[in-house]
Amino acid sequence: MDDGSLLNPDVWVDQHGDILFRFALQRVRDEAVAEDLVQETFLAAMRAKDRFKGQSSERTWLIGILKHKIIDHYRRKKFHRSDMNVEDFAETTDQFFSENGKWQIQPANWDVNPVEAYEQKEFMDAFYQCLSQMPQRLADAFVHREVDGLNTEEICKAMDITASNCWVMLYRARMLLRRCIETNWTQK
Amino acid sequence: MKHWMFCCKDVSQKFSESLDRKLPLPERMLMRMHQLMCRYCARFRRQLLLLRELSRSDNIVGMPPDFSAGLSQQASERIKASLKA
Repeated sequence: MDDGSLLNPDVWVDQHGDILFRFALQRVRDEAVAEDLVQETFLAAMRAKDRFKGQSSERTWLIGILKHKIIDHYRRKKFHRSDMNVEDFAETTDQFFSENGKWQIQPANWDVNPVEAYEQKEFMDAFYQCLSQMPQRLADAFVHREVDGLNTEEICKAMDITASNCWVMLYRARMLLRRCIETNWTQK
Repeated sequence: MKHWMFCCKDVSQKFSESLDRKLPLPERMLMRMHQLMCRYCARFRRQLLLLRELSRSDNIVGMPPDFSAGLSQQASERIKASLKA
């Protein structure tokens, strides 16, 4: 593939600028911030140009970078998080269950349709805010797995953890994120 | 000791794990059976799948239909300039 014509930063802004801007604006709700995030995305993309494999479309690739920028943005905004070890989170998931292993804090019914855009606006707000408040290591594991789609092996390598540790972290991340969204969105 | 299949705590963890690796068929079947009996675990499962779908989605969601915001001319120029710098 001729990467030269495919990845032309000069036409990037015209071709993808508006879409990236909308994507960012929907998540950060501030035009100036959204513009900055788009700029950061293009700059990061340019630096990483050689790593673009052409397996995904250029836009998908750019949005993938933008998602990280959005998460970083929320992280910078938020109060400090703990740097606890994964073992320390055991009780955070234990609290959801009673002694006999039944749900104590039962998952509520979510009336959200992934294709119905409107209610998703609040939902996505809660999603990004909760993700940014999560303990760093758990959030990292979740982002690697669900946002970037890395497999277990790749996550283990990136985070220097074992496979079983990885699955436990992902479980705890999902539990916390799910519950946080539920508290901040459904029951508002 | 009771089998894990009757324990929501264990089932929820198995389900999460099933999103990250392929579990043996018997485990998957027991998990499914539990979810047929337990609506909370069934919800949990649907919600984790939704989180995955939304995390990976590239769609612009949550925008009113008439939403057509774009980069301002100014911002567009500024970004282009920064890329050339």
